[in-house]
Amino acid sequence: MDEFVYRRVHRATPRVLFECLTEPEHLTCFWGPAGTRTPLDRIVVDLRPGGVFETVMVSEADGSEHHMRAVYEVVVPPVRLVWREVGSGMLTEITFDERGDGTTEVVTTQRHVPEPYAHPQARAGWATSLDRYAAYVVQLGGAS
Amino acid sequence: MPVAEDELTVTFTALADPTRRAILRRLALGDATVGELAEPFALTQQAVSKHLKVLERAGLVSRLRLAQARPCHLEVDNLAPVMDWITQQHQLWEQRHDRLERHLASLEG
Repeated sequence: MDEFVYRRVHRATPRVLFECLTEPEHLTCFWGPAGTRTPLDRIVVDLRPGGVFETVMVSEADGSEHHMRAVYEVVVPPVRLVWREVGSGMLTEITFDERGDGTTEVVTTQRHVPEPYAHPQARAGWATSLDRYAAYVVQLGGAS
Repeated sequence: MPVAEDELTVTFTALADPTRRAILRRLALGDATVGELAEPFALTQQAVSKHLKVLERAGLVSRLRLAQARPCHLEVDNLAPVMDWITQQHQLWEQRHDRLERHLASLEG
């Protein structure tokens, strides 16, 4: 549990999904979360181990920018992609598993806690109900 | 209580072991002595004590000093930084994939 895992099945081939996650023309269409945009001209993808991966997510509400700077560590089209964020050192691994029915499972694993999340102010507003933690602890490990 | 990055790393390391997670699950139901913890896991009390030390160092478990058996207690508040990080990452990737799904649909059309 020293990591975060997110799984999602898409109706597409590993190749299409790999391209979506590595080509700026695709990334600009979906990379930022709701309420942000990711300008195409500010996405840098140098798709090779040691190559740079940079994006800027711009808030639609106030124009504030969130910069993501990373370096690719593993590039194996169309099955595996690993990058490490500069600064926080957070490692993101994405695997693309073809399921044989026209769908592909995309599994995102993130390791190492980014520095900003360790600050108490980043935790402001988070529900601190004791019951909620306890319930989560009960599930811990259940999925692993 | 401010939690430094190093402490957060200690918390993640403590949670990385399946036996320690099982101990926390048990403690979420209520305090327990080392003997009570050892029994369901088919572990020696010594092995459980080792795991408890890691969990104590991470601030996830405390030992009550009032009784001789020193029951173990889950410090749920210290899970907050870890839970916060996981919640935010989950939201980010879920929204990203929601958008990717729509993008894929637009590629087909």
